[in-house]
Amino acid sequence: MSTAAASATPYPFSKIAFVRPASTIDQPILESLQKGKGLMPYLQSALVPSEKQQWIQTLFSKRHPDRLQPGSVVTVTTAHAPNTFSGVVLSIRRRGPDTSFVVRNVVQRTGVEMQFFVNSPHLTNIKVVKKPGDGGGRAGRRTRRAKLFYLRHSPEKMTAIAGGIKA
Amino acid sequence: MLRACSLNPLSAFRTCRGIHSTAAKQAIPVQAEPKEKRVARWTPKSIRTGVIARKRGMTAMWDDQGARHPVTVLQLDNCQVTANIKSIRKDNTEYHAVQVAASDKREKNTTAQMMGHFKKANVGPKQIVKEFPVTPDAHVPVGTTLSAIHFVPGQFVDVIANSIGKGFQGGMKRWNFKGLRASHGVSVSHRSSGSMGAHQDPGRIWPGKKMPGRLGGVRITTQNLKVVRVDTALNLVFVKGCVPGVDDAHVMVRDAKKVMVALAQHNHAKALFEKVLPKGVDDLPFPAGTQELAKTLPPVIEAPSTRTSPFLPRE
Repeated sequence: MSTAAASATPYPFSKIAFVRPASTIDQPILESLQKGKGLMPYLQSALVPSEKQQWIQTLFSKRHPDRLQPGSVVTVTTAHAPNTFSGVVLSIRRRGPDTSFVVRNVVQRTGVEMQFFVNSPHLTNIKVVKKPGDGGGRAGRRTRRAKLFYLRHSPEKMTAIAGGIKA
Repeated sequence: MLRACSLNPLSAFRTCRGIHSTAAKQAIPVQAEPKEKRVARWTPKSIRTGVIARKRGMTAMWDDQGARHPVTVLQLDNCQVTANIKSIRKDNTEYHAVQVAASDKREKNTTAQMMGHFKKANVGPKQIVKEFPVTPDAHVPVGTTLSAIHFVPGQFVDVIANSIGKGFQGGMKRWNFKGLRASHGVSVSHRSSGSMGAHQDPGRIWPGKKMPGRLGGVRITTQNLKVVRVDTALNLVFVKGCVPGVDDAHVMVRDAKKVMVALAQHNHAKALFEKVLPKGVDDLPFPAGTQELAKTLPPVIEAPSTRTSPFLPRE
């Protein structure tokens, strides 16, 4: 009778709650996680769905050769409006499941910045249009900063990075 | 019916009071049923025990509609019931409480008095012992290990902990004073509190005057935090929002007094039975969510969003 009840209502305290399967963890690691040792680093990867793990490990890692760098030009596709947004990556904030990046563009003579969270279900695609230091000349080398907030006050540097790109 | 009886008058006398119908002959004899333990159920007037957890950190989660919520991760660290308290107050009312202890400790670091107390409860020595007032029906057997399954995703909780200590702080930080101007002749007192009172009348400083002093390191209750996710394998409770205290601090987590306990009582009294529990919550583990109960239930449970999608434009 208890097994029939368990299969009929998996979670009797809430009919609309989502029931997720257990993630397989080795016993010695499970014991230390239950004591709290290394719990938050474990959750950094466990709370990221498998589709986004790829991005976290390549685009948003600190040392991967194909990582996203501040100063690159990207096109981001989202499920809600604006459906596509292109611009210069100003900053990358690495926080595991809470990783985000800020993209700046000038749209109809108005500077617009958007912060995109990598783990958001609405974020569908990130395409790197131009890596920093691709073209020669004024924006020849990689940026010497991790956060390019100075670009907010120098439109000429923005043009040097992102001018003339049909994204 | 007469045929079933024997013709012997004596035997007829003996058996005439017996049941001889066909239905009775075909009936299955009733076996003595084992005395069934009445399962305790949550009622709108019950107050359940709370648990002691550890604040492990914060992260973010996205719900089924795609909205981001900051969450705090709380972990139950071998939380066990050490006593059931019942005492009579001076006005003859009863006080009932469940005493709960968490976080194992070395025996050599525990006083003999506390060792005796833990031995009586048949529980190892613990770092923190706290009690939660309950109704008389919500007592939990001593020695039970509480689990994260005690909380239902979608319910609201109050979290109590000591806030981060900030040391001796000035009026601007402690009391949101505005300070003085940055220039225009202000000398050496840009962040000071200014005047402390009037003149000869009253000729003193009012008691309770807001002044610089120690800020933080006191008991703070954050109310009405929604439980977003429960993980029984790692004994984790994810609550939406911030919680007082540093990481790895002990926190007390209990059902929200205002949004759960009080609302349940008021709505039950008003016969609004659909509103007794929050949306999506049908029942609460009673008297407590234990490790045994957690083994029978799914390992990870998440709360759905109970509002219309914020991404859909309103008409």
